[in-house]
Amino acid sequence: MSGIERYAAPRTLEEAAELLSAGGATVFAGGTDVMPQANAGRLRFQKTLLNIGRIAELRGIGESNGVVRIGALTTITELLESPLVRGRFRALWQSCDHFASDQIRNAATLGGNLCNASPAGDTLVPLLVLDAQVVLAGKPNGTLATRRLPLAGFLTGPGRTLRAAHELLTAVEIALPPAGFDSEYFKFGTRPALDIAAISIGLGAVREGRVLRDVRVAFGAVAPTPVRAPRVEAALEGRIADDAAIEAALEAAADEIHPISDIRASDWYRREMVRNMLQRMLCDVREG
Amino acid sequence: MSAKVEIDFTLNGVREQRAVAADMSALAMLRDVVGLTGTKYGCGEGECGACTIRVDGVTLNACLMFAVDCDGREVTTIEGLAATPPGEKLRASFVEHGAVQCGFCTPGLVMQASHLIEKNPGAGEEEIRRGIEGNLCRCTGYRKIIEAIAGAK
Amino acid sequence: MGEAQKTVARETLIGKRIPKMDAPEKASGRTRYLHDIDLPGQLHAKILRSTQVHALIKSIDTGAAKRLPGVHAVITAADVPWQRPIGVAKDHLPLKTGRVRSLRDEVAAVAADSVEIAAAALALIRVEYEPLPPLTDPVEALQPGAPLIHPEPHGGDGGPQLKPGGPVAYTGKPDNVAMTFEYAQGDVAQGERESDAVVEDVFRLHYVTHCCMGVSGVIAEFDASGNLLLHSNTQVPFLHKREFAEMLGIDPGRVRIIQPPIGGGFGSKLDIYPFEPIAIFLARATGRPVKLVYTREEEFEASPTRQPVLLKLRSGCTRDGALTFRAVETLHDNGAYTSWGATTPFVMMQTVSSLYRVPHCKYRTRAVYTNNPYAGSFRGYGNLQATFAVEAHMDRLADAIGMDPLEFRLKNAQQPGEVTPQGMHFGTCGFKECLSTAAARSAYQRKRLEHASRQGDASPLKRGVGIASMLHVGGGAKIYPSDGCGTILKIDDFAHVTLITGASEIGQGSETVLAQLVCEELGLPLSSVTVVNNDTDITPWDVGVHASRTTFIAGNSAIGAAKKAKDKILAAAAAKSGRASGDLQLSGGFVVTPEGEKLFELGKFLRSLHFSDKADLVMTTFYYEPPSHHQDREFKGDVSAAYAWASQVAEVEVDTRTGIVKLLSITAAHDVGRVLNRLGIEGQIEGGVVMGQGYALTENLIVEGGAVKNPSFRDYKLVTAPEIPEMDISFIETMDGEGPQGAKGVGEAPAICVAAAVANAIHNATGVRITSLPFTPERVYRALRGKLEAPVWNVPA
Repeated sequence: MSGIERYAAPRTLEEAAELLSAGGATVFAGGTDVMPQANAGRLRFQKTLLNIGRIAELRGIGESNGVVRIGALTTITELLESPLVRGRFRALWQSCDHFASDQIRNAATLGGNLCNASPAGDTLVPLLVLDAQVVLAGKPNGTLATRRLPLAGFLTGPGRTLRAAHELLTAVEIALPPAGFDSEYFKFGTRPALDIAAISIGLGAVREGRVLRDVRVAFGAVAPTPVRAPRVEAALEGRIADDAAIEAALEAAADEIHPISDIRASDWYRREMVRNMLQRMLCDVREG
Repeated sequence: MSAKVEIDFTLNGVREQRAVAADMSALAMLRDVVGLTGTKYGCGEGECGACTIRVDGVTLNACLMFAVDCDGREVTTIEGLAATPPGEKLRASFVEHGAVQCGFCTPGLVMQASHLIEKNPGAGEEEIRRGIEGNLCRCTGYRKIIEAIAGAK
Repeated sequence: MGEAQKTVARETLIGKRIPKMDAPEKASGRTRYLHDIDLPGQLHAKILRSTQVHALIKSIDTGAAKRLPGVHAVITAADVPWQRPIGVAKDHLPLKTGRVRSLRDEVAAVAADSVEIAAAALALIRVEYEPLPPLTDPVEALQPGAPLIHPEPHGGDGGPQLKPGGPVAYTGKPDNVAMTFEYAQGDVAQGERESDAVVEDVFRLHYVTHCCMGVSGVIAEFDASGNLLLHSNTQVPFLHKREFAEMLGIDPGRVRIIQPPIGGGFGSKLDIYPFEPIAIFLARATGRPVKLVYTREEEFEASPTRQPVLLKLRSGCTRDGALTFRAVETLHDNGAYTSWGATTPFVMMQTVSSLYRVPHCKYRTRAVYTNNPYAGSFRGYGNLQATFAVEAHMDRLADAIGMDPLEFRLKNAQQPGEVTPQGMHFGTCGFKECLSTAAARSAYQRKRLEHASRQGDASPLKRGVGIASMLHVGGGAKIYPSDGCGTILKIDDFAHVTLITGASEIGQGSETVLAQLVCEELGLPLSSVTVVNNDTDITPWDVGVHASRTTFIAGNSAIGAAKKAKDKILAAAAAKSGRASGDLQLSGGFVVTPEGEKLFELGKFLRSLHFSDKADLVMTTFYYEPPSHHQDREFKGDVSAAYAWASQVAEVEVDTRTGIVKLLSITAAHDVGRVLNRLGIEGQIEGGVVMGQGYALTENLIVEGGAVKNPSFRDYKLVTAPEIPEMDISFIETMDGEGPQGAKGVGEAPAICVAAAVANAIHNATGVRITSLPFTPERVYRALRGKLEAPVWNVPA
């Protein structure tokens, strides 16, 4: 039987960090991951149920000095409705558009999606492409301390991250990409949303004439975490997206992904889809 | 057993104070504690939309929401919506367009439709389809539901 | 038109768009489904299921569970030694003794103060198993030396409560063959000799399940005299009343079934499943009302499936396009117990023998036991599976002789007046009109050629069209001793009608259509009728909601009762007015003359009948039994009073880079006899088409090693709103002479041919014939690359 002894809904980060330092807390914001996981027995409630959804300072999307800060409590719907996200982070916006359903987008938070660390997590792939950093805050020694980690390092396995038990993910920071940078997110599925990606691909680059610069590629659901694909990026960096470059990128992708077979897709099919869909995305880039 | 927590919230326009178990879902609270059964259990994991309610204006799956998280918030269920002019308009449109068969998914769809229309009064067919993608219906094939929502705008 | 013939044009309700009577309550969240009902003093029950696919139960320790506070009863088979086997073959004990045969097997059950306590108690029950070799491949079930699923007798010990003459305990089976069906007409060998083209394929049809939005549940309660009251979602209340009584060894007169509004049926509630007797056992053990409601996960893991089928079909035709023979053999995976799935051959062989005219035909099914989930009845009842194979071969044969597939079908299609070798008599038959209408409205012939010519184009997106048709019973199905339905009709002093019908409403709109038919007879508006249809203590007998029969059978029954009421009223009005009763009509709430003169306001007239010297009320009864016949031992007979026909054209887009098949449109033409409620019938067809779409493209209950691997909507994909196709629906009105106002049944028809049409469309788009379902992206992608394992027939003879 679950044994939650205490419920807390702090209003400040200080307060929340304090509670976390005491240990034994289950943290939730939207609840869309925690609730079904608890019902299915995949998550055991700790003694304290900590609702971080009331901490105002974890909300909002803002830009200063070329860095966009997205508060951890920003819902997927809020991301979809942000002109900044839509204008500058197209892949992220697309991933939100493909995210579950309206009801879940209204509740689910960006911080929650990151901490849930699903290999198929929708926002993770575009955030990798955007070189996002996560901001973690905690009060290990009585004072609030903050640290920043690149998202790629933060994710360590299915449902696992470098967030310490006493820490909260407070925000995601994205340096505004260079002028001309555009990004694209592809999620494999038969319907617009309400689906778990069998594979997903994020692609971003600056086009200088016909040449691609600052190429960034990430894949979802082909490894224990969503992953950047440095060899694919290298195969495309500084090149024209011609047949040879595309073929080199596809070969590199085949080496860089390690998909598994599960009820959603076989490893073979995942490989085929990464190949075919990356090819399609690169051909679209070539055709402008 | 989990601790009980006192919460204070607005339900269908009426202030409510209830004691709920910390691990209880808003769905269980509405049905088993408050006794409003219009919000349905269909799957318990946010995949079917039968338990759609509105909280502070937006729609959520009540099965994914902690009851304690209702504290301080404004919650509307189908019973509340049905008593308002937009709710009456939606009901009339669902009835007239034949959007109801077994009816089990209907309250959730009416709730979602109310949010959709409020947010995007000019929603076209594609937007309506996308707007209800989180609501499963096994009887109607959705066609008449889409028409009912278009007809209620 | 002569003055004498002039009659007042009566406002008719037939063919109009009539909203469902129960829709306002449902759209307000006010309708109380079973899940929403709580009785005073009610306990909550949960079931402990087997953790083993196949094992012997060595011991069950319920001690700790019984000691948990709030637990009222913990029962196992040992507590109900008098329990009787249930199900179609009476091979299924609600609580298992000795052996578990699947992961859904019920080992123990708890009644407690809350669902949470009941769940906690389940966790305290210790069961010791001795694993047995599992049998999860139906082909292996027929091999010598295969594990046996029902080798020993099981069932009640014939305790003192059993009445003589009741069902006996299951005697056990020396092999795994649960049921066999064999049918033959003509001489298949001769047919083959006469053929210019012969094709043979093996088809495999997968597991899908009903996914009613309202999960399964029941509330059982005994009164102080031992009478049983069930709140049940059953589709067959009167059959179950009897079956529950036999199971309990009590008089069926002491069982009352109330059916609250139901959150979807689709055939899933035609059989008794163990959870229902278990709730009854717990109610008896505790003396309290006991409510048992599934979780969605349980619904996936422990409710019936559509029948999975392995099917070998061999067919032939002459070079001028006449079908010569068809030979079918199927292997049905029964699962661990026999529910209705095993009996789907009743319907399958009709499609095989009689959808098209085929002189020589042979059909054989073996349904075998395995340790897999058991299959029940599901909208279409085997017809989706049979039609999938038959319609693939209609295309294959047409290709083989170089004939247009539409022409080939038209040439072999049944026509009105036909009596098939299986004994079905097609009084009305709009099949050819269905074919030509669906084809013309979808531009099938032109598009088929265009799409085929583009198969080799560079574009990765390929389009295709495919046609398929279906035959299904449309005037009931005489399976039970009676296929009838009773009606009681009363008209009160204010001309308000109460229609008490045996027919159950399961969301399909029967309540509204029956009220409409009654209003049509009595010249009253729909608001003048209340329908009572959910209590076996009140309603007259009906065989149940199945076989697309309710509009036809209950409709005729309602009309019969209404006509008797009308006759009585008009006879009295004639006496009072001095006119001949044949001259009078009921219209707009009045007794009127042919010229439209209002003689009597109906309410007032009824009061004058009531409060007179000969005080009388208008109350009538009618029992309608369709003029159909039971099949003989060779499965021959005219089992339905009418037959429904449909043709559907699917247009698809196949993305060859992903295998994603998008269903663009369905053009459907249905012979429905006559449209009664346009809104309702459109809803039935649209819903059925999308259910067929799910069967073809998205739904797949993955069963591996006896376990359901995807027991959630996350991975069992129902079609969502953005995915539905364009739907163009035409009604072919053949005005069936026996049907109510000319109508025929339609409930199952729309789901039946979608998958078959989609298969033909994929072939048209890509040139690849896929003989197994579902057409999910990876399977299609593999098929396009020759990497999809084709089904093979390796079944022992």
